[in-house]
Amino acid sequence: MPSEIITLQLGQCGNQIGFEFWKRLCLEHGISPDGVLEDFATDGQDRKDVFFYQADDNHYIPRAVLIDLEPRVINNIMTSPYSKLYNQENVFLSKHGGGAGNNWASGFSQGEKVQEEVFDILDREADGSDSLEGFVLCHSIAGGTGSGMGSYVLERLSERFPKKLIQTYSVFPNQDEISDVVVQPYNSILTLKRLTKCADSVVVLDNTALNRIATERLHIQTPTFTQINNLVSTIMSLSTTTLRYPSYMNNNLIGLTASLIPTPQLHFLMTGYTPLMSDCETKTSVRKTTVLDVMRRLLQPKNMMVSALTDKQSRQCFVSILNIIQGEVDPSQVHKSLQRIRERKLANFIPWGPASIQVALPRSSPYVQSAHKVSGLMMANHTGISSLFKRALAQYDKLRKRNAFLDNFRRESMFQDDLTELDIARDTVDCLVQEYDAATQIDYPQWSPAVEASKAG
Amino acid sequence: MSQDLNVGNDVAADASEISNIINEMIICIKGKQLPEVHDLAIAELSKMVAENNLDIRDSNMLSERECVQKILKLLSDRKEEDGKTVSDYFHELHRKLTLINCVPHMRHSLMTHLLSMADNSDDDKSSANEDPRSQGDNLTQILFCRLDSRSSSSSNQNEMELVNRNGAGSSHSYDSSQSSFGFRKQSLPNYLDATKMFPDSQHDVVMSAIYSFTGVQGKYLKKDVVTGRFKLDPQNIKFLTTGQAGMLLRLSELGYYHDRVVKFSDVSTGFNAIGSMGQALISKLKEELANFHGQVAVLHDKIQRFRLVAMSGIGYREDRDSGDELTLFKLLAWYIKPLHRMQWLTKIADACQIKKGGELASTVYDFLDNGNDMVNELVEDLLTAICGPLVRMISKWILEGGISDIHREFFVKSIKDVGVDRLWHDKFRLRLPMLPKFVPIELANKILMTGKCINFLREICEEQGMMKERDELMKVMESSAAQIFSYTPDTSWHAAVETCYQQTSKHVLDIMVGPHKLLDHLYGMRRYLLLGQGDFISILIENMKNELERPGLDVYANDLTSMLDSALRCTNAQYDDPDILNHLDVIVQRPFNGDIGWDIISLQYIVHGPLAAMLESTMPTYKVLFKPLWRMKHMEFVLSMKIWKEQMGNAKALRTMKSEIGKASHRLNLFTSEIMHFIHQMQYYVLFEVIECNWVELQKKMQKATTLDEILEAHEKFLQTILVGCFVSNKASVEHSLEVVYDNIIELEKWQSSFYKDCFQELSARKKLSKIVEKSEEEGVYGLTNNMILQRDQEAKMFAEKMDIACRGLEVIATDYEKAVSSFLMSLNSSDDPNLQLFGTRLDFNEYYKKRDTNLSKPLTFEHMRMSNVFALNSRFVICTPSCQE
Repeated sequence: MPSEIITLQLGQCGNQIGFEFWKRLCLEHGISPDGVLEDFATDGQDRKDVFFYQADDNHYIPRAVLIDLEPRVINNIMTSPYSKLYNQENVFLSKHGGGAGNNWASGFSQGEKVQEEVFDILDREADGSDSLEGFVLCHSIAGGTGSGMGSYVLERLSERFPKKLIQTYSVFPNQDEISDVVVQPYNSILTLKRLTKCADSVVVLDNTALNRIATERLHIQTPTFTQINNLVSTIMSLSTTTLRYPSYMNNNLIGLTASLIPTPQLHFLMTGYTPLMSDCETKTSVRKTTVLDVMRRLLQPKNMMVSALTDKQSRQCFVSILNIIQGEVDPSQVHKSLQRIRERKLANFIPWGPASIQVALPRSSPYVQSAHKVSGLMMANHTGISSLFKRALAQYDKLRKRNAFLDNFRRESMFQDDLTELDIARDTVDCLVQEYDAATQIDYPQWSPAVEASKAG
Repeated sequence: MSQDLNVGNDVAADASEISNIINEMIICIKGKQLPEVHDLAIAELSKMVAENNLDIRDSNMLSERECVQKILKLLSDRKEEDGKTVSDYFHELHRKLTLINCVPHMRHSLMTHLLSMADNSDDDKSSANEDPRSQGDNLTQILFCRLDSRSSSSSNQNEMELVNRNGAGSSHSYDSSQSSFGFRKQSLPNYLDATKMFPDSQHDVVMSAIYSFTGVQGKYLKKDVVTGRFKLDPQNIKFLTTGQAGMLLRLSELGYYHDRVVKFSDVSTGFNAIGSMGQALISKLKEELANFHGQVAVLHDKIQRFRLVAMSGIGYREDRDSGDELTLFKLLAWYIKPLHRMQWLTKIADACQIKKGGELASTVYDFLDNGNDMVNELVEDLLTAICGPLVRMISKWILEGGISDIHREFFVKSIKDVGVDRLWHDKFRLRLPMLPKFVPIELANKILMTGKCINFLREICEEQGMMKERDELMKVMESSAAQIFSYTPDTSWHAAVETCYQQTSKHVLDIMVGPHKLLDHLYGMRRYLLLGQGDFISILIENMKNELERPGLDVYANDLTSMLDSALRCTNAQYDDPDILNHLDVIVQRPFNGDIGWDIISLQYIVHGPLAAMLESTMPTYKVLFKPLWRMKHMEFVLSMKIWKEQMGNAKALRTMKSEIGKASHRLNLFTSEIMHFIHQMQYYVLFEVIECNWVELQKKMQKATTLDEILEAHEKFLQTILVGCFVSNKASVEHSLEVVYDNIIELEKWQSSFYKDCFQELSARKKLSKIVEKSEEEGVYGLTNNMILQRDQEAKMFAEKMDIACRGLEVIATDYEKAVSSFLMSLNSSDDPNLQLFGTRLDFNEYYKKRDTNLSKPLTFEHMRMSNVFALNSRFVICTPSCQE
C-alpha cells in the first residue's frame, strides 16, 4: 500500500509513547487489541494502511519496530492486551538486556553492534511496503537507548534510505525537576546533533511543558508517565489525522511537513493542543466553541507543548503554522478567524518571507467519543524553540567546563581518544541556535552558515 | 362533355353566348334586380341544373316547348318601355339558344327551372315595374363584363360548370352576400319595390336600417367602398328628412361593426385570429353573430308582419299609430346594447387579428379588466372559449407529456432536432411569446418541468407507470377552463397543476436519487474530478509519475487505465461504490507540440442514460475545472515531491560542500519555501475555501431539494462559483500571472536538477581525489601528480564559476517569480470579488509582499487603479524576457 510510514520505537520512553500511540490508533480505527477490525468499523472511511498492514488472516498489524536494550517496557507491552497486535519479528531486544545505562555513548555503540539485526527488520518492513514514504522515530533525547542508539539508527537510516523522510517525535527532558541522569546534558547535545543533521523533521515534545500542563491545566498533582504519555499520544495521533483520514490536502507526510519546514535545519516543530481541560471542567462549557476560539487558544503559550515560548514582546516569531482542527466547526468560519488573527496580530511571523496559518479540517474518528466538541492541534515552526537548545547548551557547557561525568563516555570507542565528538555536537547545536536567531531577522536570506561549516567540515 | 372538348374554340364562344342568353332570360323573368339577387338566381339555377339534371328530365311532364310556352304566357303581361314585350324578348332569346349548339336535355331542364322561377316569383314580380333604366344598363354591363372574363379564363369547361362557377364567384365579390347567409334561403324581399308600395317612406327607412344592421345595403344606405361604413345613398337622400338621415346614419353604425365582426370571424379573410385557440374565438364570435342575427330577425319579422297588415289594408291607420310599429326612434333605443356588444367584439377581434395561442389569450385577457359587467362577461366568455384548447393542451402535456400543437401556439415547445440525450436540458423549452399573461413564468416553468419529467421518465428511465389519479386530475383540469385566468391562483385547476407538478417531480427525484444515485455521482465527481479525494490523487500522480513527465506523443491511454485502477484499488477509493468508480476514466488528449503527460492526461467522468441527460451539460465545466486543479496538483507534486524532497536529501549528502554551495542552497531553500507557501495557500484556498465550502452549501441544498431541477440548479451554481474561485473565468491578467508563477516553478525544478548535478559531479571528483590521497598515503607514495592537482584546481574553479552562474540564474527565476506574484496579488487586491480580495490578504498574511512592494499597500484609489495598470503592463514586459533569452 502506498505512502506507508514505519514507526520505530526506541528505548524506554520511545516504546511507552509508541505503545500509547498504537493504542490510540487502534481505538480510532476500530481495531481490537489483537488486530481484528471491529464489526462497527467496517465502512472504511479511514486509511488504515498508512500505519497498518493486513496479515494473511486480515489482522491489522502495525508497521512498528520495537527496539530496546532492556526488556522491561517491551515485556510490559508484550504482556498487555495489545501483545498480539505487534509483529513479534519486529521486536528487537538486546540479548544481554542490560540497557544503555542512560549513557549516550553506550547506546550508540550498542546500536552499532546490533545494527545488522535492526536493519534486517527495517529492510524487511521497507520491502514489505509498496512505496514507503518515511520513518517515524519515537524516543527521548536524554536517556541512553533512545538517545544513543536512536542517534545511531538515525544516522544509518538517513544513509540507507536517503530518499525517505525521517520524522522523529523526540521527548525533551523535564527541566523543572532535577534529573537523576547526570549526563543528560551530554546525551541531549549529542542527540540534538543527529536530530539536526539526519532527521527531516522533529516534533519536539517537551517534558517540562507537558508536566506543567498536567499539573496546572489538568490539575494532576503528580503526573504519571501514563498521563503524560496520553497527552503525547493525542498529539501524535492528531498530527497524523490528515494522513489517516484523507481529504483534499496534506495527505502525505511530505506534503504535511514540506510547507512547515523552509530550510533543512529549521525543522524542529512544536505543538500546541486545545482543549486542555480536566474532565470536570468540560462539563460546564459556557458557549459554542468557534474556530476562532480554537485558533486563538492554540496561539497561547500556555497551550504549547514546548516550554520555550516567551512573551510576545520578544523577537521570536513563527516560521509557519499548521492548525489541525477536528470536530463540529463551520468551514466558512475558518477564513474569518484567520482574518481576525491577522487584524489583532495574535501571531508574530517571520519578516523575510511569506508566512501564514494553514488550516486542515480532517474528519475525526467516529469510534472515539471525545468529551470536546472541537479540538485543535497546532504544529508550528517557531524560532523560539531555540531557547530549548540554548538551555541544553548552557547545561552542557556547565558540565563540559568541568569535564564532569565523562568517564562512562570515555569507555566507549567513540570517545576513547578524544572528546571532539562532543565539541562537534556542541557546535552543530550552537549553529542551529544561531540559525534560529538569524531567522528572526529580516536579512535571514543573506545569512550564511559559513562559520559552522568551517569547523564541522 | 368530351364532345365539347373537341369542338374547341367554337364551344368557348358558344359558352359565353349561352351564359349571356341565360342572363338575359333571368332578367326577363325576374326583372332588373340588385346584382347579388341576380347572381343568386343564376347560382341557384346552375346548381339545380347540375344536380338534378336527370331527375328533372324523368319527372317533369312538360316538354321544352311547353315550358317555353308557359313562360311566355307568364311574361306576356309585362311590358318593356320601348314597346317590345318581355315575352317577345324572351322568345327571341330562346330562339338564339336553340341556334347554338347545345345539349337538348340541358336546354330542357334550364327551361323547366326558368318556368318555376317565373311561376314562383310571379306574385312579387308581377308588380315589379320599377324603372329599369336607372340601373339596368349599368347592371347588365357589369354582369356581362364579369361573365366574359370568367368564361375566357375557363374556355374549355362546359357551360353548366361555367355557370356554376359564375354563381359561386359572384357570391364572393360582395362582402355583404356572405353576411346575409341567414337570409339567403328565404328569398330576399325586394325592398326597392317596397318603396313603391308604401307612399310613406317610414317603413322603408326602418327596413333599410334593419338591413343595415346585418350589413346589407338598402335604398338609403350604401356602403362606402373604402371604409366599409354605411353612407346615405345620394340618389335617395332627397326622400329623407334631416332627422331620419341622421338617425339612419347612427343606426347604420351597428351594421358597420357587424360587418367588422363578420370579417374577423371569417377564416378566409386573413384578419382572423389563428390556431386552435383562434378557432375557438371565431366560433365564439360566430355564436355572438348568430345571436345578434336572431335578434335582428325578430325585428325583421315584426316589420314584415306589420307590412303585410298594411298591405292588406286592414287596420292600416290604427296600426300605424299603435306602439307596435317599429320606428327609427325605437330602433335607436334598441340598438344601443347590440351596438355596444358589437363594438367590443370588434375591438377585441381587431386586437386579435392574426394572433394565436398565448398571445391571443393575453390580448383578450387585457380586456378583462372592465368595470362594465356586460363587457366583463363578454370577455370572460371569449377568454373561456379561447382557453379551452389551451387547458386541454396543458393537461395533455402535464399528464401524458404529449404535445399536439400544429399551430405552434402552446407555450411549451419540443425541439425536433434535439436528441434524447439532451432531453432534460434542451429538448423542451418555453415558447415565451405564446405564454399567456395570466400564466406566471413560475407556473409555466412548473408546467414545462412536469411534462419534461414525464418525457424523461418514459424516454430515458423507461418507466411506463402513469400518474395515479390521472383521470381525476384531468377531469378537474379540463372541467373549467376559466380558472386558468383567475386572478388568484387558488383554483382547483391551479391546485391540480401543482399536484401534478409535485408528484411528477418527486417521482423523478426519487428515481434519480434512488436507483440512479444522482447524489452519489455528484459526490463522486466532487471527489475525483475536483480532487476531493486527496489520497487518491496523490497516489494516481505517484503511479503515473513517469507517464506524466513523458513527451505527449509517448503517452498511451491504455497504460494509464491500469494505473488508474491500481490507484483506485489501493486508496480509500476502494471502499467507494463500484457504480461510481466505473464511471471514472482517464483520457489522453491529442498532444500539441511540447506537451508532456501533465498537459494532456486528465480524468473524466463518463455518464450514461438518465445521468447523462442530467449531467452531460455540466461535463464541459468539469473539464474546464479539472485543468487548473490538476495543474495545481502538478505544481504541488513538483514542489514537494521533487524540489523540497531533493533539497532535504541532498542537504545531508552535500554537507561537506557547504562553504561553496551554502549560499546558493540557502537561497534555494528560502525561495522554495516562499513558493511552497504560495502553492499551499493557493491549494488551500481553492480546495477548501472555494470547493469544500461551496460543496457544503450544495449538500445542504441537495438535502432540502424537493425537485430535481433544484438540485441541478444548485449544482450548476456550485460549478459557476468554483469557476470563479479557480481563476478560470477571471480576468486574463490573473490567469497570466498564475501561469508565470507555475512556469517559474518548472523553471526552478530544471535549475535545481542541473545545480545538484554539478554539485554531485564536484563532490564525486573530490571524493575520488581524496581516495587517491588516502591510497597513496597507505602505500607511502606521493600519488598526486602536478597535473592532477592542476586539473583539480581547474575543475574547482570551473565549479565555482558554475555556481556563480547558477546563483544568477536562480536570481532571475526568483525575480520573475516575485514579479508574477506581485501582479497576481495586485489583481486579487483590486478585484471586485471580496473573496478574492480576502484570498489576497491570506497569501500575504504577514504582509511580506506588501512591505516589499509599495504598490500593494496603496488603497484602492483611482490613482492606484491607474498605476496598477501601468504596473501590470510593466510586469508583463519583464516577464517576457526570460522566454526571449531561451
